Amino acid sequence: MEDLAKQAIDHAQKLGAEFADVRMESAAGIIIVVMDGKTKTLNVSRESGCGIRAFSGGAWGFATTNILTQASVKAAAASAAKMARAARAKAKVKFEISGVKAVRAREEYRTKERAADVPTEEKLAFAMSQDKVMRDMDKRITSTNTRYEDFEAERVVANSFGTLTVTVERWLIGTCLAWAKSDGIVQRGHANSGSVGGYELMRNEVSQNLGKTAAEQAIRLLDSTPPPAGKFTVILDNKMTGMLAHEAFGHACEADGILAGASVLEGKVGEMVGAEGVSMVDDPTVKNTFGYFSYDWEGVKARKHVLIENGELKGYLHNLESGSRMGLGSNGAARSQAYNSPPIIRMSNTYIGPGDWKKEELFEGLKYGLLIQGSQYGYVEPAKGQFMFKCDEAYEIRDGEAGQRFRDASISGVILEVLKKVDALADDFVLTDPGYCGKSGQEARTTDGGPHVRVKDMVVGGMS
Amino acid sequence: MVDLVELAERTVKSVMKLGPSDCDVIVTNSTYYTAEIEKGSMKQSSAFKDPGVGVRAFVNGCAGFSSCTGHDLASIQKVAEQAVALARSGTPDEDFKGLPLKAKPTKVAGLFEKRVAELEPADVVDMAISLAESAGLDKRIYSVNATVSAGSGEVALANSNGFWGVQKLTSFDAMAETVAKSGSKMFSGVDGCWSRRTEPKMLDSVANEAREHAIMGLRQTKVNTGEYPVIIDPLSVGFILGSTIGGGLNAESIQRKRSFLAGRLGETIGSEKLTIHDDPTLEWGNGSFAFDGEGVPARRKTVIDKGKLTTYLYDSYTAGKDAVSSTGNSSRGGAMWTFRRPPSISSSNIVVRKGDASIDEMIKDTRSGIYLRLTFDYPNMATGEFSGLMMESFKIEKGELGPSIRQSTMGISMLDLFSRIDMVGKKSREAFGVRTPAMRISRAKIGGSG
Repeated sequence: MEDLAKQAIDHAQKLGAEFADVRMESAAGIIIVVMDGKTKTLNVSRESGCGIRAFSGGAWGFATTNILTQASVKAAAASAAKMARAARAKAKVKFEISGVKAVRAREEYRTKERAADVPTEEKLAFAMSQDKVMRDMDKRITSTNTRYEDFEAERVVANSFGTLTVTVERWLIGTCLAWAKSDGIVQRGHANSGSVGGYELMRNEVSQNLGKTAAEQAIRLLDSTPPPAGKFTVILDNKMTGMLAHEAFGHACEADGILAGASVLEGKVGEMVGAEGVSMVDDPTVKNTFGYFSYDWEGVKARKHVLIENGELKGYLHNLESGSRMGLGSNGAARSQAYNSPPIIRMSNTYIGPGDWKKEELFEGLKYGLLIQGSQYGYVEPAKGQFMFKCDEAYEIRDGEAGQRFRDASISGVILEVLKKVDALADDFVLTDPGYCGKSGQEARTTDGGPHVRVKDMVVGGMS
Repeated sequence: MVDLVELAERTVKSVMKLGPSDCDVIVTNSTYYTAEIEKGSMKQSSAFKDPGVGVRAFVNGCAGFSSCTGHDLASIQKVAEQAVALARSGTPDEDFKGLPLKAKPTKVAGLFEKRVAELEPADVVDMAISLAESAGLDKRIYSVNATVSAGSGEVALANSNGFWGVQKLTSFDAMAETVAKSGSKMFSGVDGCWSRRTEPKMLDSVANEAREHAIMGLRQTKVNTGEYPVIIDPLSVGFILGSTIGGGLNAESIQRKRSFLAGRLGETIGSEKLTIHDDPTLEWGNGSFAFDGEGVPARRKTVIDKGKLTTYLYDSYTAGKDAVSSTGNSSRGGAMWTFRRPPSISSSNIVVRKGDASIDEMIKDTRSGIYLRLTFDYPNMATGEFSGLMMESFKIEKGELGPSIRQSTMGISMLDLFSRIDMVGKKSREAFGVRTPAMRISRAKIGGSG
């Protein structure tokens, strides 16, 4: 694949590209879905192909092929170069891709037990066993769903500055969903466990208890009610703090949004955007996480990004383009879903740093508020400066004590205000919540986390 | 040039030699062109060529699925073997009653437009530039980001019951995000279009809506928590109904009792003003097809008739389990179909019957309320409860549209939402796979920051 990649770059340059890069991939994966004790989906996919980008003047051409022959790859390179030339003529903003250091590296994600070597029957047995745990736990469990997925790819990234990185990427994730019913009320619980690495992950305690965790949550939620609507002081658990970091702030720190004039954080570096003591980091180098990578999808070495330090905005996440245009260089945040998607700026492992409060102290003296636990989903519009995220469960707090259980509370806020409303951070930091982040039609594996934090005046969406 | 039907039928024969009871094979060959504008400047022109094959095989009712990129025969043979091996390794499933029988695809107009198929990357670039320029026609506009995509291709499907079908498909969509600034205030307007063809005024409409809503959003206010009547713009109706109908009426969710609509067939679940069809025969609809993802001929069906729930959405598996016919709602994903995933149940084009009120009449008739233009939330399918952010919304005071509301949420059960519809608009538009007018609901709980 390395030779084909080099040929594609040479060909694009011969046809006028000022800069060219290639992501070439050969990948395989399996998805197993068990529903209500029976296999629903057994899906094996094999993918190979390459995506070629050519840059000219201020615009990009991007072409893909999933036929890895010299002729097909050269044709894609020619197509990318042609489109870049045509786009250049229409580009109003002119710039160069500059300051790129050639990187030569090979990395294979380490595993104790390569998932591809584990028989399908064993993976299926794992999924069936977790599904059974859910169904056996309580007669109120009415339906179950267990999903196991693993993926392995060899990816070559090469560019016209001489970069050539080869990454053998391996990751896997298991998810359990349980539905419980009582007195006409249906509730759902879920749990997941995912990381780069090998099948050893499915043998650890968290993975072995996925079914139990999901079923317990579904049962627990049966006596919940919809939350009240209004403005409250909330205490976010580790997962929801991670969601806050990711949705409320992380996306607005992506420099492609800054260049697009579509982020309220444009021009705010050096300004206070959070309360003192609030720090926020995106770090793809944290090992054994779902968001881990060592070289990004443009071949730049990954590094830790301190986005907020003690309340002050320190910088953005960059790729080669934004790094060139802002004169800062890439800090290794470019990712592609696969060879057939162009690299864009993405988060990885995103978290808010710990404080020095004990978790219990966050509750003390709080006359009325809500404890918000477990993340379902969230989204943000950085140009509108608004975000929302939805939790699994919430608890009313009266005089420091958690009481009535609520479900499905949605929390909304304003990007430039929310971190200034953080008035206490606990010391119980956990980077815990693996999942997928969607942007521009592409998914990226990520992990979110942080400590319990207390935030004033959050708008909670409810039905009562 | 590969004959996709011949390849699909040949693959079915190869798979059946391996011993499964049933199989189906999808062969696709698609090309997409996209152009992206960033802050008013041409950013990226892309071309995607994506041929592939997906094989689904059944052994004792258990399905195995495997796919590969390209049309290489050796790879397809491996995929066939893999699918059968996977089907053998799973659990038997007596609820599987077989794949659809051979049937003639429905004649559906508007699946393929030559003009879209003949677009070159440079044409798509010109369209994106034109969209962005039009969206930026106001001095308060700070930035315009836009994308235009055109797809064309062919999909062949064959199964072991002798069905074979081929359909040529095109798709065309565009999005614009327009950012307006005034002093320290910033707001964005978003709009899009989705179709199987290009229409002369499509891009103008997207540009105008995105521009106008960005500017309208610069006047901002807060709202107090309380109950208000809410006019829901087609863009939000589309997003909410797309998930509620596609997910909540999915027979799989119904049979497994995961949906709040389980057990409600034949019941009145909404206002008399609410009638909804699922219509894969809709001319130029992005979700239209001649046959579904398993080969069932396309047909229009009423899912909610004057508030009464009349059918669930079935594929062959769930139909067999309930001893009914498939409603032809097996989807292979998206407007252009994919070989990468096994089929699953989905709505096609959701069509909401129009009413008789104009938007202006609906606003004028609302003394104090909310106009919800945009949300990206969906209900909890188990409970039917909706609790989400009003990403773009406006206050209505004394029958007039007022400033945009910051940081507010809406909470309501979907059954209440359906029942409280008291006005339906007379003009429809496409929004996220739904052709719908605006609706007014008499009240919903609004969480505000005022």
